[in-house]
Amino acid sequence: MSSTVFDYFTNIRNAFTSIFHGLAVTFSYLFRKPTTIQYPDRIDTPVQQMLPPLFRGILEVDVGLCIGCNLCEKTCPLGCLRTAVVRDPETNQRYITRFDVDISKCMVCGLCSENCPTGAVRHSTEFEASTANMVNLVIRYVKPGERIPVHKPVKGEESPGLPQNEPIARAHKEWDEPPPVDPDQVRGRVRWKNDGAPEEEQSS
Amino acid sequence: MTQLILEDQHGETTMVNMGPQHPSTHGVINLRLLLQGEVIAKIDPIVGFLHRSIEKLGEMTPYPGFLPYTDRVDYLSAMFGNQVYCMAVEELLGVEVPRRAEYLRVIACELNRIISHLIAVGTMAMDLGAFTPFLHAIRERETVNDFMERICGARINYSYMRIGGVPRDLEPGLDKDILKFLDRFEKFIPEFNRLITGNEIFVRRLIDLAVIPAADAISCGLSGPNLRSSGVDYDLRRDRPYSAYPEFEFRVVTGEGYRGQTGDCYARYWVRIDEMLESAKIVRQALLGLPEGDVKAKVPRKITPPKGEVYSAVESSRGEMGCYLVSDGGEQPLRVRFRTGSFTAMTVLPKIVPGLMVADLTAFFGSLDVVAPEIDR
Amino acid sequence: MKELFFELSQSWQLEPLEMTGAIALWLVVVSAIVLSFVATFAGVTSWVERRVAGRMMSRIGPNRVGPQGFLQWMADGLKCFLKEDVIPNEVDKPLFRFAPYLVFTGTFAAFAALPFGYGIVAADLNIGIFYVTAITALVVIGILMAGWSSNNKWSLLGGVRSAAQIVSYEIPSGLAILSVVVLAGTLNLQAIIAGQGGFPWDWYIFNNPFTLMAFFIFFASILAEGNRTPFDLPEAESELVAGYLTEYSGMRFVFFFFGEWANLWVMSALITTLFLGGWQIPGVADLAGVVAGVQGAAKTLWILLSVVVFFAKTLVLVFVVIWIRWTLPRLRVDQLMVMCWKYFVPFGFLCMMGSALFVLIAQSPLGETVHLVVRLALTGLGGLVLLLFVRRTILNVRELQDPFYFKVLE
Ligand code: SF4
Ligand code: SF4
Repeated sequence: MSSTVFDYFTNIRNAFTSIFHGLAVTFSYLFRKPTTIQYPDRIDTPVQQMLPPLFRGILEVDVGLCIGCNLCEKTCPLGCLRTAVVRDPETNQRYITRFDVDISKCMVCGLCSENCPTGAVRHSTEFEASTANMVNLVIRYVKPGERIPVHKPVKGEESPGLPQNEPIARAHKEWDEPPPVDPDQVRGRVRWKNDGAPEEEQSS
Repeated sequence: MTQLILEDQHGETTMVNMGPQHPSTHGVINLRLLLQGEVIAKIDPIVGFLHRSIEKLGEMTPYPGFLPYTDRVDYLSAMFGNQVYCMAVEELLGVEVPRRAEYLRVIACELNRIISHLIAVGTMAMDLGAFTPFLHAIRERETVNDFMERICGARINYSYMRIGGVPRDLEPGLDKDILKFLDRFEKFIPEFNRLITGNEIFVRRLIDLAVIPAADAISCGLSGPNLRSSGVDYDLRRDRPYSAYPEFEFRVVTGEGYRGQTGDCYARYWVRIDEMLESAKIVRQALLGLPEGDVKAKVPRKITPPKGEVYSAVESSRGEMGCYLVSDGGEQPLRVRFRTGSFTAMTVLPKIVPGLMVADLTAFFGSLDVVAPEIDR
Repeated sequence: MKELFFELSQSWQLEPLEMTGAIALWLVVVSAIVLSFVATFAGVTSWVERRVAGRMMSRIGPNRVGPQGFLQWMADGLKCFLKEDVIPNEVDKPLFRFAPYLVFTGTFAAFAALPFGYGIVAADLNIGIFYVTAITALVVIGILMAGWSSNNKWSLLGGVRSAAQIVSYEIPSGLAILSVVVLAGTLNLQAIIAGQGGFPWDWYIFNNPFTLMAFFIFFASILAEGNRTPFDLPEAESELVAGYLTEYSGMRFVFFFFGEWANLWVMSALITTLFLGGWQIPGVADLAGVVAGVQGAAKTLWILLSVVVFFAKTLVLVFVVIWIRWTLPRLRVDQLMVMCWKYFVPFGFLCMMGSALFVLIAQSPLGETVHLVVRLALTGLGGLVLLLFVRRTILNVRELQDPFYFKVLE
């Protein structure tokens, strides 16, 4: 390793000084505050409130704002969203009959929320979605059988747009519910990509 | 150099599988080793454990929708995947990106380079048995991650850029926080150096080890820090300028002048340390000179680039990251192909490794800063 | 301890046959005491190590089980004892089963001759230091056995590395010990301590430049023998997965770690004994005389005080070893050997010769004065390094503008 006598002693000196400095650095950390955040229980504010407003958490849908344009469904590269709109032939009123988000597939990329013209679909600051049953991760924002009239933005009135700059309330936490046991219910909640036949409503 | 002479040892050889589950293969890579004692006689890198067919997915996803996938090409420097893809599509479309957006991209990319290099030097120290530097590097990285979260909403898979710019402007007050962090960071690096870089054991482990001569580095297609540490002064940011890089002043770090030879593991390590400081400089310049204006050019919602092919390349933290895009005029690319630095870095293994010891292999492998998913994609 | 036993047995006036039984009982009691001490020490140290390491890495460390996570070691121990003891199919079963106990025995047996305080020693051997170095070498057989029998290439590499390492480092550590032995003129650990004094300049470390050098050599080589970082090559997890431990699980795994942490005490106690004045209380020139002079509670108190001093020094050293572990990277195998043969062995010889020379100098006329000056100068040097260190530490905290924050418990 070392070729000359000088190198030999330089090595020894270097070893001592560098170890001295290294030890001083590690020792100095005993006198600094640890950076650990003791998630989840020993923190002053919940992590959800510490996140920046832009944080892309689990998708949250305000169906009341949805105009049923279906853009989000088309933009999503994974097909996590599934919407269905029916038109009442008498009143010509359009209703949203289905709005499902499969957050087990979603990669929280933000493309859908950006493309939504009214800001109906947006990211919450919620990120804890562990569940015992993956089926629970399909969130149905419109309960089966429910019909929600589409939102009609008033001309000239500012649409809510992307409310990204203010913290969003915690998302609907369907995954906290116990896993469904009723097989019919399970079938109803299984991924739509696999359940074959489309439902009676046509997505517009 | 610890090239032990293999002919001296007439013993039998042992075949060992290093990986796919091994603490220091940085992901799922299988290195098949033929050992003579502790000396490696032959190495056979087997890749493909992390193949996720990102390129095939690209052929089935519309142009804007493919963007999140580019994060996953190299999860430690997702921003570069974003940028190279956006650059390719923008070139096909002929879209001019606003200057402010270019600046924001540069800021994000250079912060990402800091993140990635912190991991690289940290894991390298850990491969050599020192845990504390790794955690210290991770701590600084977490701070940058927090900024990333404020810039783009995610910590790892940023999906920050969009075709034609970036989706949002900087949050107010963020630039001040980043500048404050950079001040701290420039003091943290000397402390880190005192802790590990200058440590005599660390230096002795790395200097003169696994020297990649410049000619070999070029012929194996190495790029990025690995190429520069061999003394080749080549940096896409300067030599094939893209984005807003020509407007910044920075030094291209090459592996000359450190202890040991040019092209050894220690040079590779130092190049990364110095590049972090250079990145900090670029971020500072960009933040101070941030132009006003739009952050996103007008692009149609449905992107259908004209027929043609394009190759764009950026200097990612692991070398040249290139994106080759063929369009047939449809909504989806006909072909997307990524050129990544880690894959070419693997090709240098069989050339350099025989003659090293097992312990050296982990050091060498760490110094190449290979990220497994980037190899396979 | 032996004296205590004989005192007791005489006061009870036992028959010869009863005497044999009493001795057997005595042995059981003593080893039980030592065993429980070792177990507790190993456990508590594992907790301390994790907490210290955590703070050095800017983390907190285990703090959930019990107050401040103090019961973590019990929980871990319990978990490991309840875990399935996996014995892979192709291993050499008898050897695989036996190896952990051998490792543990090697370390544990060393406790028999280690002093804990004035007169507190299980067996006051007159070749104590020799016994300790010899018996701890048993560990290498256990490790080699574990490495071989695991039928795993990484384990085998670890085992072989360990054997080479421990055997080589016996030499510098032996030489460093000899340079102390030359000064003390005895191999008895209690007598070596008795030859030192209470104040730092009376310790053997600052006795002359050569013992100072010997101190560092001994420290490094004993780290190497104990497989601690920066010499933890046999279990280098970034290279060898876990070295000879790879295939072990459950209770047997715990036994290896028992051995490792018990070894921490052995190392530190040996260094304290040889170089740092052992149980010598500062300001008390002749502890033996003092203890002989008093009776009853006073005597117990004096002995207790000596135990406290000894423990304090040893625990500081334990901390230093832990601290080094979390600071330094690991050497490579050939560097390890280079360091041993090219640096430590020559310097070890130098130390031994130098100390012998110094004994001669100290005996010459004027030698007393020269010796005192040298001792004070070396102590001053030590103090200076300490001061510089404190300064450097404060600068480190200041530089990053972190506020000073000191809380032992988080
Ligand atoms: S965030 Fe991305 S992946 Fe998730 S639903 Fe929206 S577009 Fe799809
Ligand atoms: S959520 Fe938004 S994008 Fe999706 S259908 Fe409703 S309005 Fe359109």
